[in-house]
Amino acid sequence: MKRLKPFAYFEPVTLAEAIKILVDQGSGAYPLAGGTDLLVRMKRGEINPSALINLKCIDGLNRIEPEVEKGMQIGPLTTISALEQSSFVQSAYPVLAEAAGLLGSPSIRNLATLGGNIGRASPASDMAPAMMVLMTRLSVDGPEGKREFPLDSIFSGPGRTTLKPGEVISSFFVPKMAAHSGAAYLRLGRREGMDCALVGVAVLLNLSPKSGDVQGARIALASVAPVPIRARKAEAELLSGALTEERIQKAAVAAALDSMPVSDMRASSSYRKEMVMVLTLRAIEQARARAEGGNNH
Amino acid sequence: MKVLIDLTVNGESYQQEVEPQTTLLELLRHQLHLTGTKEGCGLGDCGTCVVLVGGKPVNSCLMLAVDANRREVTTIEGLETNGQLHPLQQNFLEKGAVQCGFCTPAMILSAKSLLDKNAGASEMEIKEALSGVLCRCGSYKKIVAAILATGRGREAGNEK
Repeated sequence: MKRLKPFAYFEPVTLAEAIKILVDQGSGAYPLAGGTDLLVRMKRGEINPSALINLKCIDGLNRIEPEVEKGMQIGPLTTISALEQSSFVQSAYPVLAEAAGLLGSPSIRNLATLGGNIGRASPASDMAPAMMVLMTRLSVDGPEGKREFPLDSIFSGPGRTTLKPGEVISSFFVPKMAAHSGAAYLRLGRREGMDCALVGVAVLLNLSPKSGDVQGARIALASVAPVPIRARKAEAELLSGALTEERIQKAAVAAALDSMPVSDMRASSSYRKEMVMVLTLRAIEQARARAEGGNNH
Repeated sequence: MKVLIDLTVNGESYQQEVEPQTTLLELLRHQLHLTGTKEGCGLGDCGTCVVLVGGKPVNSCLMLAVDANRREVTTIEGLETNGQLHPLQQNFLEKGAVQCGFCTPAMILSAKSLLDKNAGASEMEIKEALSGVLCRCGSYKKIVAAILATGRGREAGNEK
């Protein structure tokens, strides 16, 4: 039987109160969102928080709010299943709904939150690659006020973030996808459901409506580096000019070179590199089909 | 430190004092003695602890009891009405979808949540809805058959 050890427990009702408690309680205090990762690590004895600060009593942190012409705000406590099932997300950012639908299992997705998935800074995050190719920015609130930065720069190592003590993710902003762009997220696991990604690849392409030339290309990889990364060399291979078979091949090879996977009990480094190549190829094709399909993203 | 929570379980209101580290699973099994909900791995991998909160399946081993405050919980005990088995339970019996039975409550509750939204769910949709619950006996085929039969029965019932 897996039991949790006792901890001090707080239910702040404002973000300011949560930040104050986090600071007062010091380094042993953890914010609690969905709990699907935090409670597992506690049960395994990997961490022993002295205090949990439950963020779910703070109003308004779990909303998906479209902003006309600009994009959308997502509250950090939005559940993964809410993203998966939101008709707005499905039509405006299908890649996000797709990634959400691949995370864990339905019962995990009903608990797990976007803020938790990103704040956990797992190299295998399913949400990070899709959020990164969409150029998501995040806002954090902390003892010294608010700051905003690109999502990529929150990751500083496996399970480590650039958040300062007392800082909490307060919002995600996802810019509107440009016309004639499409994105896809593909993941390889050992089985289809309920598995941690061996390799995750997100691709976003923006194509010229007239020539079909590549105007923008972004590729992000999960599970193949200490943190989710952008495959910059691969992006460069695609940029400007027509999207030929040869360039797609080159980009896929470059993505494999951009990756630096470890060998572990789940897969070897060389296998993962090979799979980065295959998944990148397929994700580019899917993103292209969506970009060419008009405003279907 | 104990926290006082109000929750509804299978239509009945409860006021319970819980320790913050008590999971919803422990509250159900040890304080309310609803032992139909099982603990398998305790880490969110096996899904045998699935219950419905607000009609949606969640892993009760990864949800703190305090988070069930003011929520509506349904466990397997809540499915029969006036001594009548729920159609899902009846079909699980008829199709022989139960071997050891350990995953059965979670399978039935996951299926209930799906069919309540989508009685005409396809085999693929059923499999996806059950993807978080492991059956180590390998009864999947009969489990899916029982759920398909329930969905069809419900749709036929609605047409009348």
